[in-house]
Amino acid sequence: MSAAPGTPAVDPLEPTPFLVGRPGDRALTEELVATVLGPTRRGWLLLVAALGAGMAFWLVALGATLFVGIGTWGNNIPVAWGFGITTFVWWIGIGHAGTLISAILLLFQQRWRTSINRFAEAMTLFAVAMAGMYPILHLGRPWLFWWLMPYPSTTRLWPNFKSALPWDVFAISTYATVSFLFWFLGLIPDLATLRDAATTPRRRRIYGLLAFGWRGSARHWRHYRIGYLLLAGLATPLVVSVHTIVSFDFAISLLPGWHTTIFPPYFVAGAIFSGFAMVVTLIVPARRLLGLERVITIRHLDNMNKVILATGLMVSYGYVMEHFMAWYGGDPAEAFAFVNRWTGPYRHLWYLQLFCNVVTPQILWFPRMRRNLVVMFVVSLLVNLGMWLERFMIVVVSLSRDFLPSSWAMFRPTWVDWGLLFGSMATFGVLFLLFLRFLPVIPIAEVKELRREFDHEDRLVAGGPGHRPEGAP
Amino acid sequence: MPPLGLPIYGQPPLAAGDRRAPDAWRSLAERAGQADPAGRPPDGDAPAPASFGRRSFLQVLSASAALAGLAACKPPRERVVSYVRRPPEVTPSLPSYYATALPAGGYGVGVVVESHEGRPTKVEGNPAHPSSLGGAGLPELASPLELYDPARIAGFRRGGRPLAWSALLDELSEVAARLAQDGGARLRVLAEPTSSPAVAALRADLRARFPGSRLVAWAPVSEDAAREGTRLAFGRPLDVEHRLATADVVLSLDADFLATEGDHLRLAREFAARRVDAAAMNRLYAAEATYTVTGGAADHRLRLRASEILGFGRAVAAALASAHGLAALAPLGAAAGGAQARLAAAVAADLARARGRGLVLAGQRQPAAAHALAAAMNDALGNAGATVLYREPVLLDRSSGPEGLAALAAEIRAGGVDTLVITAWNPVYTAPAELELGALLRRVPNVVYLAAREDETTAVAGAVVAAAHPLESWGDLRARDGTASVVQPLIAPLVASATELDLLAAFLDRGQVGAWALVREGWRRRTGDEGFDRRWDRWLADGVVAGTAAPPVAPPLDGAAIAAALAAAPPPVAGVEAIFAPDDKVLDGRLGENAWLQELPHPVSKLTWDNAALLSPATAARLGLETGALATLRLHGREVLAPVLVQPGHADEAVTLPLGYGRRVAGAVATGAGFDAYALRRGAAPWIDGGLEIAPTGARRALAQTQGHFTMDGRALALALPVAALPGALAELEERRGPLPSILPEVDYSGEPYRWGMAIDLSRCIGCGACALACQAENNIPVVGRSEVLNSREMHWLRVDRYYEGPAEEPASVSQPLACVHCESAPCEYVCPVNATVHSDEGLNEMVYNRCVGTRYCSNNCPYKVRRFNYLDYHTVHAPQLAMLQNPDVTVRARGVMEKCSYCVQRIERARIGARVAGGTIGGDQVVSACQQACPAEAIVFGNLADPASRVARLAGGERRYDLLHELGTRPRTGYLARLRNPNPDLA
Repeated sequence: MSAAPGTPAVDPLEPTPFLVGRPGDRALTEELVATVLGPTRRGWLLLVAALGAGMAFWLVALGATLFVGIGTWGNNIPVAWGFGITTFVWWIGIGHAGTLISAILLLFQQRWRTSINRFAEAMTLFAVAMAGMYPILHLGRPWLFWWLMPYPSTTRLWPNFKSALPWDVFAISTYATVSFLFWFLGLIPDLATLRDAATTPRRRRIYGLLAFGWRGSARHWRHYRIGYLLLAGLATPLVVSVHTIVSFDFAISLLPGWHTTIFPPYFVAGAIFSGFAMVVTLIVPARRLLGLERVITIRHLDNMNKVILATGLMVSYGYVMEHFMAWYGGDPAEAFAFVNRWTGPYRHLWYLQLFCNVVTPQILWFPRMRRNLVVMFVVSLLVNLGMWLERFMIVVVSLSRDFLPSSWAMFRPTWVDWGLLFGSMATFGVLFLLFLRFLPVIPIAEVKELRREFDHEDRLVAGGPGHRPEGAP
Repeated sequence: MPPLGLPIYGQPPLAAGDRRAPDAWRSLAERAGQADPAGRPPDGDAPAPASFGRRSFLQVLSASAALAGLAACKPPRERVVSYVRRPPEVTPSLPSYYATALPAGGYGVGVVVESHEGRPTKVEGNPAHPSSLGGAGLPELASPLELYDPARIAGFRRGGRPLAWSALLDELSEVAARLAQDGGARLRVLAEPTSSPAVAALRADLRARFPGSRLVAWAPVSEDAAREGTRLAFGRPLDVEHRLATADVVLSLDADFLATEGDHLRLAREFAARRVDAAAMNRLYAAEATYTVTGGAADHRLRLRASEILGFGRAVAAALASAHGLAALAPLGAAAGGAQARLAAAVAADLARARGRGLVLAGQRQPAAAHALAAAMNDALGNAGATVLYREPVLLDRSSGPEGLAALAAEIRAGGVDTLVITAWNPVYTAPAELELGALLRRVPNVVYLAAREDETTAVAGAVVAAAHPLESWGDLRARDGTASVVQPLIAPLVASATELDLLAAFLDRGQVGAWALVREGWRRRTGDEGFDRRWDRWLADGVVAGTAAPPVAPPLDGAAIAAALAAAPPPVAGVEAIFAPDDKVLDGRLGENAWLQELPHPVSKLTWDNAALLSPATAARLGLETGALATLRLHGREVLAPVLVQPGHADEAVTLPLGYGRRVAGAVATGAGFDAYALRRGAAPWIDGGLEIAPTGARRALAQTQGHFTMDGRALALALPVAALPGALAELEERRGPLPSILPEVDYSGEPYRWGMAIDLSRCIGCGACALACQAENNIPVVGRSEVLNSREMHWLRVDRYYEGPAEEPASVSQPLACVHCESAPCEYVCPVNATVHSDEGLNEMVYNRCVGTRYCSNNCPYKVRRFNYLDYHTVHAPQLAMLQNPDVTVRARGVMEKCSYCVQRIERARIGARVAGGTIGGDQVVSACQQACPAEAIVFGNLADPASRVARLAGGERRYDLLHELGTRPRTGYLARLRNPNPDLA
């Protein structure tokens, strides 16, 4: 959707711009590197301390899991997967927004991604790091996790490629690698900016090392552009593939509630849904605290809320189709799994999930609500909660009552389960705070480029018809 | 590579002090600088190897082999002779099997014990023994754990002083000499009823030396009422033997004869044999209050309060007299009204049709009059001599009820007892509450108590003599039909301990003789010198002394006495009825320290680690109680706090109080388990009491039940159908077996010589749980404890599911043993990311423990949920002594590893080795799984499906066979045979 000829940069139908004002390069640089090079703020320290305490709790829970065993969790038979896999899928889903924003929106030439892509990519990385922890931790013998990887060994034993779990290993490790490369490649020009703006020799050295000798020459830019586009092309299928493969963990089984072909698209939609919600959750306070209202505008948030609404509707459709198929398929065990959601012992969580994921996003139909920071923040929190509950319903509730009533049992989480859940959030928060402090949150180079594009378009509008603006990269 | 002090080739000799690192220690006690509590230096006096290389390992190995014989250098006081499958020479790693007998209510149950290098590890039934016929019950199967129990008392003590056996003998000898001066007038012996001829001989000798002494027999759960009933009916106490093989119609008046009463192993086998042929089905009517195993197996379960069952029996007798011309029963009958009359008429008609082929049994809880009535009905129906036999009592003690104990208490209170020898189990705990025996025993100057564990009685006994376990004792016992067995030890006593024979002999100054000599000389005396040694060896090898069964007698019936007794029988109790019942697992409480039994789900309620007051849904609703609620139970001024369990099918306005829990002084296992029903039990009404008050407290105690849902939710899981409906159901059963279309390539097993499979006949299964316990013993399955069971982490490879059908007030039930069904198309296998669970060519679904990383996906994808996961380290937390109990043929699983039924692959492999050595093949029925071996009802059959002549192949091809969850296309190798019910058409 490149701007049509003659379109002014400020669209009368889109009253809020992607960039407030037309600050000069120097002003932008100074504004955007201030978060990194400026003095450490007390609020930041307090936040790090508070989340650090949560992280310590996480480490204790981690230690209990590794040294005492998986029995410190609430898992049992039949519910052999509990909070671990629930939270794993949740974090992986959250990690989807980053790649979607960076890669797909880049390919679709959506300009509004520019200010928020760094942010979303960092969130993706940290979310994937958190997610990647669980499949290893949840093993009975986590120190043997590498047996899931194909490696040449004297035993000539390979993983079982029929199982979805080795697919998971590939999908997630690929996703983590590509996400990291994409994020880091995008950072290189900005790291060079930081190097150049650095006030102390130590910072200059560190940022200089990380900048890989970037000088901003035309050749550099040309290579950078090609590399960035190629990586975007590589990352695009990953947006779809990762959660598809995560959904296979369930879909290839024969458990009622898991065994369904709708899972891949349904999981991907849910992942984008929760990922965008998490971006909103993080960005609303961050833009305020870091004073980035000029580059992350209401227009960005509005667009993200539209994505949340759209994917929320897809998720709701998924719920409807699951129920339809349970009825239409005629399998009593499958039908029971869904009746059990409405009437079983976990029904209250199901109602809460429906409220969070189906009812709440509907408020975003209203433009005023989409642009209200408080509303969108609350909605994003509820969506995050709702999506966690959705995974809990799928993983735990399906397992707790399957084919033989004699083996039905409830799942009760322990303090270790809660510690790993909330502790991972705190750890994620700590990582994110470190990112906010030590790396440029807004891609400086890209914003400058965007500003120039807007300048160009403004000139074209002023200069009359007959000229076509360059498509924005 | 230092240690051992033996010179190692190629290494310099060590300095003497260098043998062991200074900070090395081998037990916590050693580290703390304490001696072993038993007074032994820790671990003998051999220095522990600090590290072990290949050379030193080989040196030690050869030294061990060379020195292995040294253990035999002690003078052989006693001799152990092997059983049937004894290898030509003892081969390490090959188990030996020995026959012996274990006590059960004073009788002997014949068993065969598997022994690995001298360690007994597993008890199985002895097919040659009339009470076992090859099956084994819960107490027998669990007994090896008792043997290795680290909480056993070791050694002897008097007044807190530890004594050596010889010193104790000297002291007892002195006491005996003093007592003998007045003829033993102040000596009393409190013993359990027993059938042992050796004990009988010693008791006779004791009477001769101490004519003034008295022996009191006490058993909290006894069959006094049955013997008293026969005394009423025949003028003298007799033993009753029931025979179900020829019984077409069986009426049980509160008798749980399939699980806890009488000759239950044999009766279960005979009963089950009549449940498989639709043309020759027996029919069981069970009148009972508590839902028992027998009630679950019944075709008609008549839900009655325990005190009303006699009335129902009389109603049947009245109907027999009035409608079927049995005039002899007329004075005994008393017609009932309402629904009972209709039931009684139908039962009577059925019994009358099956004259000579019917049977009426009365339960041990019922008054003597009920037993007499049963005798009269059997007599009138012509069943006596056919399905009922009478014998002179086998037990030495005709009566072991509370009266004797009350008389003893009175004597103690009067100061007439100087020395009390207690060989009965824990009388302070089991005695009727009003006797307050614990306080009384403190008044007796000399209490000598033979006990295996610390309990309420050791706390008040002056002298405590450690009791030897039956698997380390010599003795003899008789079966219920009188057949004698020699009890032989499998292992030298693990702790300094004595048997009842040793202790009694001590009072005759023969304590040094030893139980072996006492038993053997007794039998030599009884059977003569000639050829005795060969006979003796034969008896030990067979496990039975052939030809010792007591002959049946046929005494005349005294109808008038029975009528008088019935007239004097107690009426139904007023108020809420309290029913005392021995527990299915811990019996009267003596097995409470057995963690296997504590963790075994109760056959009916599936409760573990607790007992609970059982009541019906209606009564619970009236009282505002639900499962897990704590209530105060008050009975005649005494009260206890007990959790409540709502038991479908329980009689209304009645509460069952299982005995044997709520111990005050006990070891780690029994402490904290359940409530003490003995605290409410009166000597005047030991079984059925009235006027129970129940007050909810509002508090709760979570009950660790292994099953939470007892309905099938309309799914076809454990199929049960009336015989008449079988022809119509054959098509449906046909649909529930056989191949289903699949997109997966089919694995062809047709070329395999062995296709292992199992058939479980639900028609035979009574749901007693012996299979689950046998599996636990065979496969080194850990005990996880109450809190883990509450979290659904029990490890049993084999569970017995129980489903109720019909209304909650009067449900029928069906039990379904379920272990891994070894799907040919196994859902667990394709989801394992590391190939840790794979299929063998012969169709076994195998677990590779070493390869398992513990994703638990296999369990999630198992529709049968039979996989078990080691969430924690369940093995090394136990005492090292318990390692001796482990079956060396089965891997002990580590933390984080999945496990499940292996079809006893170790037994298959043993058979394969044997077959290869012999150059043949494994027979279709040759491999017997542990569950199959133990099953008293022969419900489980394992074998080779590829052999059309094998039992399992024939069952799998039968018309009643179906596959559980067949629609999933898993093609399980374990097939089920639908249960047949045989309801009376008149009651439809």
